[in-house]
Amino acid sequence: MPITRINIGPVHPSTHGVLRLVVDIDGDTVKNVEPHIGMLHRGVEKLVETRMYMQSPPYMEKLDYISPLSYDEAYVAAVEAALGVEVKERAQYVRLIQLELQRIASHLFFIGTLCNDLGQMFTTFMWAFEDRDKVLYLLQEATGSRMFYVNMRLGGVVRDLPPDFAEHALNFLDYLDKRLKEYESFIEKNPVFMERMKGVGVLSRADAIDLGVTGHVLRASGISYDVRKDKPYYVYEKLNFNVKTQQGGDNFARYKLRMEEIRESARLIRRALNTIPEGDALGMPIRLIGPSAKNKISMVSRELPRGEALMYLVADPQRPYRLSIRSPCFINLAALGHLTSDVRLADLFAIMGSLDLVVACVDR
Amino acid sequence: MVETDHDSKEFVNARHEMDALVAASMKKYEAKPNVAFSKLSELVKSMSLSKKLVGWSRKNSLWPLQFGLACCAIELMDFGAARIDAERKGYLLFRPTPRQCDVMLVAGWVTKSMVPEIKRLYEQMSEPRYVIAFGECATCGGPWWESYNIIRGIDQVLPVDVYVAGCPPRPENLFAALMKLQDKIGGKIED
Repeated sequence: MPITRINIGPVHPSTHGVLRLVVDIDGDTVKNVEPHIGMLHRGVEKLVETRMYMQSPPYMEKLDYISPLSYDEAYVAAVEAALGVEVKERAQYVRLIQLELQRIASHLFFIGTLCNDLGQMFTTFMWAFEDRDKVLYLLQEATGSRMFYVNMRLGGVVRDLPPDFAEHALNFLDYLDKRLKEYESFIEKNPVFMERMKGVGVLSRADAIDLGVTGHVLRASGISYDVRKDKPYYVYEKLNFNVKTQQGGDNFARYKLRMEEIRESARLIRRALNTIPEGDALGMPIRLIGPSAKNKISMVSRELPRGEALMYLVADPQRPYRLSIRSPCFINLAALGHLTSDVRLADLFAIMGSLDLVVACVDR
Repeated sequence: MVETDHDSKEFVNARHEMDALVAASMKKYEAKPNVAFSKLSELVKSMSLSKKLVGWSRKNSLWPLQFGLACCAIELMDFGAARIDAERKGYLLFRPTPRQCDVMLVAGWVTKSMVPEIKRLYEQMSEPRYVIAFGECATCGGPWWESYNIIRGIDQVLPVDVYVAGCPPRPENLFAALMKLQDKIGGKIED
């Protein structure tokens, strides 16, 4: 059969954003996938150079709108490293709790949209969004806004945790434990789901290293690498963070790994809430950022829900001279062509869903 | 389900009381019993009935286009999920093809490379079609108004019916905007 070239996107329900794929198909078999990116490019790295240090976090949050707080924190950490600001101890706990809550919200979103991409499980989408909303309410309680929090300041946070927060969060985590069991029994007993997830889109250990993928794609191929463990920041080491891995390397392993990661995050939040020290967590006022930062360079790597992000910052007195972002989604998108060679066309969307790309993060 | 006993003593008493109240108030304002009906029929006669009927049916079955650009699309998905049941107000399922849709929600920043695509989607929708600029980026460029690759608001390209402020607007906000659009289609709000 002759090879046909078809165009998917840029507006397509399964691409999670504005991504255009040019796919060569032979019958129903995918021969080549060519992603065309840049439909959401808005020049964040250039815009940041014209903004004061603490005007930039809102821009950073819009890089990855499913887990905004993580990018916010990564940027602020880069500025802190350049200016030599220490983070207060209680603030470290507060940041960790909020980051892990954000990770849970992001992973729930992943599970919901993945099942939606597979086409027949709208129920999971509804469930996952309901539970994600509960996390967003918790974060709203802590930071005052629903989606873009901008809660990080140099050396601390903008708002400390409210008095009832621990109780509400622990209640939610108990609820989530039960809920995750329900998800698993509901999803994994579905033969269609298992058929489309198990053994599809297999990425071997060697290929994962060669392609340089990060985050859940890497750990699902059996490689135990997590920035929270290997280059620990904040109190992750103190709270005994364990890296979760899966051996399969297929779609199912990536899904299963995220389920495990939700549990691990919940465990971390519980421990952090129980051991959080008293004290001051508020960050320093913005006006105190002085001219001490000339020509200082910092490079900070953080484990976002989608993988390792690297922030390279060259500091100037008032604003970043240069900010370069290594986005995990861009790296993981590079593996798409390898994963989708000789699969069925319908599996292309299952694989894309399991890679969990955010196109704004790819395009920047 | 609790069933009301229509013959019980309390119920009969309450009904008599209500009747007495209505009679008293009608006497007070000298209103005749059929005044509401006659006013309604006057209203219908004075305006074109078919126009009203078409507007009413149109506004109660709006099909939004499943189309998201950026962050606001996440709130759009939340709007379509369990918490807000928009179907009770006449917003049916999000459809992935523009040919079946009436409402286009532009949710996110509009880059220069997306403009032709959005125009094409809009042209594929059948008349009458409505556009909602959802969020700050689609309204005026939002935080990216200085960027070299962004157009400052979708209204430079398409006619916009309702603007929604917020970054991102909450799902409830979108619901309010859609009800505003209903009012506009039904003729309650002039253009």
